[in-house]
Amino acid sequence: MNLEVKEPIDLVRLSLGEKIYIKMRGDRELRGTLHAFDQHLNIVLSNVEEVLTVIEIDEETNEEIMKTTRRNFEMLYIRGDGIIAIAPPKRF
Amino acid sequence: MTSKSPSDFLKNIIGKPVIVKLTSSIEYKGILACLDAYMNISLEQAEEWIEGQFKNKYADIFIRGNNVFYVTPQKKRNLQDL
Repeated sequence: MNLEVKEPIDLVRLSLGEKIYIKMRGDRELRGTLHAFDQHLNIVLSNVEEVLTVIEIDEETNEEIMKTTRRNFEMLYIRGDGIIAIAPPKRF
Repeated sequence: MTSKSPSDFLKNIIGKPVIVKLTSSIEYKGILACLDAYMNISLEQAEEWIEGQFKNKYADIFIRGNNVFYVTPQKKRNLQDL
């Protein structure tokens, strides 16, 4: 496999089989293992954790409260048009 | 810097620090690694800024082109957060 990043999608190709982070529209984030993708960025992930963030405003204090909801999926097919950004796993 | 066309401009700034603003007003600041005809972008050493607040750091990040509002060269990196 060519390990060079010549076009942006190579970054996704290099992450095949690895855990990736996906930022989705609608304040959703996904973390899971990348199995497959195509030119639209339709994606198949396994062992997925979805984090949904909603901001609620306390009616009395007008404070913004961030609430997160988590869901897990064994396998997930994601339609590409909902994706904002993809990051390979952070290397510590 | 002279550019014959918008895509020449983009080719000229590959390898340089840029700010990518998305239509959702999220900004990514980092080194422009490469881009394609869809304006998909990959950045290196990228910082995510939401409403002027630093949120995250990524060694590499892929940005899907349809979300891009503009790309601008960044002269001095992180000047505002020094």
